[in-house]
Amino acid sequence: MSEPVRVTDADVERLAAQVGLTIAPESRAAVAQHLAGLLAAVLLLDEFALPEPIEPAPRFDP
Amino acid sequence: MIDATTSARSIAASVRAGKTRARDVVAGALERIARRNAALNAFTAVLGERALADADSIDRRLAAGDDPGPLAGVPFAAKNLFDVTGLATLAGSKINAGHPPATRDAAAVARLRAAGAVLVGALNMDEYAYGFSTENTHYGPTRNPRDPSRIAGGSSGGSAAAVAGGLVPLTLGTDTNGSIRVPAALCGVFGLKPTFGRVSRAGVVPLAWSFDHVGPFARHVADLASAFDAIAGPDPLDPACSTLPPPRCSGELERGIDGLRLAVAGGHFARLAADEALAAVTRVAAALGARREVSLPEAHRARAAAQVITACEGSAYHLENLRARAADFDPMIRDRLLAAALLPAAAYLRAQRFRAWYRARVAEVFREVDVLLAPTTPWTAPAIGAPWTTRIDGTEVPTRGHLGVFTQPLSFIGLPVISVPLVSAGALPVGVQLIAAPFNEAVLFRVAARLEADGVVGAPVAM
Repeated sequence: MSEPVRVTDADVERLAAQVGLTIAPESRAAVAQHLAGLLAAVLLLDEFALPEPIEPAPRFDP
Repeated sequence: MIDATTSARSIAASVRAGKTRARDVVAGALERIARRNAALNAFTAVLGERALADADSIDRRLAAGDDPGPLAGVPFAAKNLFDVTGLATLAGSKINAGHPPATRDAAAVARLRAAGAVLVGALNMDEYAYGFSTENTHYGPTRNPRDPSRIAGGSSGGSAAAVAGGLVPLTLGTDTNGSIRVPAALCGVFGLKPTFGRVSRAGVVPLAWSFDHVGPFARHVADLASAFDAIAGPDPLDPACSTLPPPRCSGELERGIDGLRLAVAGGHFARLAADEALAAVTRVAAALGARREVSLPEAHRARAAAQVITACEGSAYHLENLRARAADFDPMIRDRLLAAALLPAAAYLRAQRFRAWYRARVAEVFREVDVLLAPTTPWTAPAIGAPWTTRIDGTEVPTRGHLGVFTQPLSFIGLPVISVPLVSAGALPVGVQLIAAPFNEAVLFRVAARLEADGVVGAPVAM
């Protein structure tokens, strides 16, 4: 089981700048909390070993 | 006499037989909306004169000997995520209120109208369909007709409330993570999320392109089937719409369930839920004689993957507005979309890879089983404005987000699901999901029809 994910207001500010978002100071704590929740979901997926051939490419049938 | 309790099928039969005018049916629905909507806040637009003009057109066609369609004169309404000619498609937002009016109806709206149904209005929802409660900051909360102090569920909350309250017999909604099934369960009506690709999404504002679904709500299984038959089928305007010909599910209702392999979903689907939600599954399983239990492998991770994909696709769709006018979003939605925009691409691709693996494993389960049973929601409708978190079995979970715990692992891989309602006096309704393999909606209707005929499930009007 993973440790709880911690995201700070400063993390949010730095990441937002990378994608051209300005996040109001009063929203940063809430955004950090939601991002921590999403990263916890990502960790849950990372912990699961997928077989190597599994890939996300779509399938084309003629 | 046609009133709030009359089924869509009975209305159409009466109108088609010339016993009732479509105008009178639609006027009755408009009167009920005028009388009850202030208390429920299900509608964000009522079409009034336009609906009456459409009803007059149905009456004229019948008088001329034309066939106006199997749903002749049936009033219906659509979530305001659907394009309706002449209305701005709000998608529950303030931002879209400034958009120009739609110049054509969404495909599903057009198909119901082509079947003779009459559109009477547009319905409230969570902003951009990213929620389970319809506590919309811009347009107010939709109230649950079974207890107006409680949420109707979401994101298609107006669609469920309008049917449960008897305002109209049919509505349209959408479901990405549970947005048809959750409100159907909380309001005590039937809701169908068809197979991904079975019903066109053309003219519907997306939440997550790769698993948005369109489907109907009704108080009767036959009405649900009639609506599905009308809207299902190929559409070149929706790139994900299947070219498979749809079944006629209205013809399946009398077939019974002999020979069907039925099972209850265990594991993930039997945890972190209130007793009444699990008891509903037990009751339905007993009525159907379903004794086998099966497990969908890693369903909790499937839910996580659904959350990640929804977040990434949703934030990508809204990124421009998040950059330019974040303050105009509903605060309930904005901070979640902003957080989603910060996720790395690797997270999205990991979730998509997991999805491919999980879809293949679940397909193996459906080689052995025709219909699976699971709770729709983990509990009954929370109060409007309920605390953000709830404790269940010693675990703190988000009160609203957890409503999708049993729906998300299913829509994520496009499976068809009907949520059937268990409504009893003095208690809030609960729902049970009937789940089948892709493109096997017909078998769901057979089971739902049996349960309704035996009185196990049903959706009386909440007066």
